[in-house]
Amino acid sequence: MDATDEAQFAEFVRTHWSDLVRAAVFLGADPSEAEEIAQSTLVRCYTKWHRVRIADNREAYVYRMLLNQLRDVRRSRWWRSRTDVEPDAHVDDASDRIVVSDAVHQALDSLSRAHREVVVLRYFVQLSEAQTSATLGIAPGTVKSRLSRALQQLAGSEHLVELAEENR
Amino acid sequence: MTDLEDAWDDIPSGEPPVGAILAEGRTRRRQQRRRPLMVVGGVAAMAAAFATGIVVSQPGGTDPTAAGIERVAFQADLDPADNCADLLAEYQRRGLDLVTAWGWGSPVVGYDTTMPELTTAQSRITAQGSSGTGTNVQEAGIDEPDTVKTDGKHVVRVRGSHLQVFDVTAAEPELTGSVRLPQISGGELLMSGDSVIVIGGDTNRDTDYAAPAGTRVLTVSIKDPSRPEIVDTAVYTSRIIAARQHGSAIRLVLADGPPALDFVTPDDDVTDEEALQHNRAVVESTTIDDWLPYDDSGSGNRPLLKGGRPLVACDQVAVPADSPGLDTVSIVGFTADEATQRSAIALVGSASLTYMSADRLYLADHPSGECFGCRWLDDRTVTQRSHGTTHLYEFELDGIYAAHVASGNVKGMLADRWSMDEADGVLRVAVGPSSATGNFNSLVTLRRHGQKLQEIGRIDKIGVNEDIKAVRWFDDLAVIVTFRRTDPLYTIDLSRPDRPALRGELKIPGFSDYLHPVGDDLLLGVGYGDASATRVTVGLYDASDLADVKQTAVVELGHGHALAPDDPRAFTWLPKARTALTVIQKDDDVLLAAITVGESGLKQRLTHVEYGDDAHQVRTMALPDGRVLLITGENVTFFALS
Repeated sequence: MDATDEAQFAEFVRTHWSDLVRAAVFLGADPSEAEEIAQSTLVRCYTKWHRVRIADNREAYVYRMLLNQLRDVRRSRWWRSRTDVEPDAHVDDASDRIVVSDAVHQALDSLSRAHREVVVLRYFVQLSEAQTSATLGIAPGTVKSRLSRALQQLAGSEHLVELAEENR
Repeated sequence: MTDLEDAWDDIPSGEPPVGAILAEGRTRRRQQRRRPLMVVGGVAAMAAAFATGIVVSQPGGTDPTAAGIERVAFQADLDPADNCADLLAEYQRRGLDLVTAWGWGSPVVGYDTTMPELTTAQSRITAQGSSGTGTNVQEAGIDEPDTVKTDGKHVVRVRGSHLQVFDVTAAEPELTGSVRLPQISGGELLMSGDSVIVIGGDTNRDTDYAAPAGTRVLTVSIKDPSRPEIVDTAVYTSRIIAARQHGSAIRLVLADGPPALDFVTPDDDVTDEEALQHNRAVVESTTIDDWLPYDDSGSGNRPLLKGGRPLVACDQVAVPADSPGLDTVSIVGFTADEATQRSAIALVGSASLTYMSADRLYLADHPSGECFGCRWLDDRTVTQRSHGTTHLYEFELDGIYAAHVASGNVKGMLADRWSMDEADGVLRVAVGPSSATGNFNSLVTLRRHGQKLQEIGRIDKIGVNEDIKAVRWFDDLAVIVTFRRTDPLYTIDLSRPDRPALRGELKIPGFSDYLHPVGDDLLLGVGYGDASATRVTVGLYDASDLADVKQTAVVELGHGHALAPDDPRAFTWLPKARTALTVIQKDDDVLLAAITVGESGLKQRLTHVEYGDDAHQVRTMALPDGRVLLITGENVTFFALS
């Protein structure tokens, strides 16, 4: 990668960093885990930059990598005792960002994985329908139908009330 | 929604670590370039170095195509058929090699129409922590079918010909609804949101003795738990080999044997030679409809006949030249909410042993075992014609799609699906002896290089003259138990996949044939304390020093038979209570053993839960609130740990 490419890549990192971290949290990661995942996703982008750079659909490419990284983390998490920590074990940690991410997880855990991915990518990251469809490998029509079902489900979720209280 | 939107904005993400990412990226790229240079020399090395970044994907991830839409199912050395005529010619060529005066063999063996145990076929080798739906599975994150599933609020189970839904949020589980499952036998479940997928034998097809057992897949919506409703039915002519779920993607591996044809057999009026001529002519007159697997996603009420809609198009079927056999093994992907949108590709041969990680699927030749409702043919083709070599095929998974990306082979035989594992793009296999090896077991590591699965490391002579009883894989460690008279437990360091290293060996009387990691470098082993395998014991092993694994505690559960080694779903590890629940059968009595790992060793408690054959239905699963469900043949109840 030459200097121009590297500068271009650095700009790309600055533009996408926050949304990648947020998306990782919304997809179920802890805040610190989310930063690791965003970082390893971007490292992979660097090694594949020749392809990412020319991709018609850069966002789809990058968010697909993010989803893969998340899956890998979940998969390798369990040996050496980390795994044996059950999901609610970090509740004691009182720091703000844990509170926010826990509330987000509670609100979104009611969604199926498929619905959750669509909501996060389409509604929060604000990828286009085409980008979301390419990221998830599903038809644009499916993006639309899953999004509307997921939003409906969230609208009726009692966890959102708790979230509002915690944010106060 | 505004609350979530606020949360989105509130999540602090700090300054992007641009410098760190650039540094790490540069290091990775240098490593990527170096690797092929060590293998190839001269001009070829330049080409390989350039190609590596494109062809070889990074460990652990599917490499999405830039557009994210283009799908090429066969990206490596396997060529799919150009058209149906070519594919038929290949089927017939193989068929003519195999057909005899007695048809596909002598004598013809009837079909076993019982359902395979979809996940556990004779597995003496091990599994790991419970999945999100409460099943003790092989690979974290990959769910496997079971007769019972939970989403934390409901329990769904197959009982006889019905699917039952229980509400488990109250003090006692309550049956809320039930639906009859028509024309399906031995159903097992997967769960995705409000959808329950029931996979079983197609009884509509079982009645036709001449045709192979088919497979029926129902999608049941439990959106209204009081009125579960069948919303989709799919029927396949193929028998089911394996079913797995990753996220919302559900994947079936199906196999079709060669077709039932109008063969004759020699008798008083027909000589051997005449029969053979007739049978060869029958094979030559087959059409592609006779060979291709078919499916039907209609009502499922009509018997499914060949000549309907092929499950795979001819140009999505590859015939590997070096793998013998006449099974058509299909990989089918779909999601629960769009069960009718299926993606399918197929291989002809005998590679039906399936292992799946989050983003890869491997098929391997199987000597005879994972072949249910199937025939002599698999046995014969592999063991007699493969010369003791196992062929391996790697597929990359992407949503519902699978693409073949590399092939390889290894001398020796794989015992079952637990013999394979993938971590960071390295396939590790535990190989037993065959005619091509010595009389010992080996551990072999392989990595994809271009289109080849290349052997990068191996250890031989693990347990000379002994059988592998159990294997447990970790990211950088394998624990292998072999058995003849004592129970050597071997620890193998896999932190350098190209240089696996035997670190330790522990010999104790008897053997453990189910190992379960319980954290802090501890393993629980369920097995027998005596060589004649009558006294069930549970041992605790400390593997913190790989060179010096110690048995730190052991409890005796008396005479009986532990179910976990044959069916890991009969075992549950409860991390919070640090307790293992495992089903023990003693004559006609079925007991649940609760083994607690404490500071001072192991504590045991035995509870009578069931009688007789219903032992195989007994399951335990933890709910998110920590309560433990006990599912027996008749009941769903809560189980008090103390």
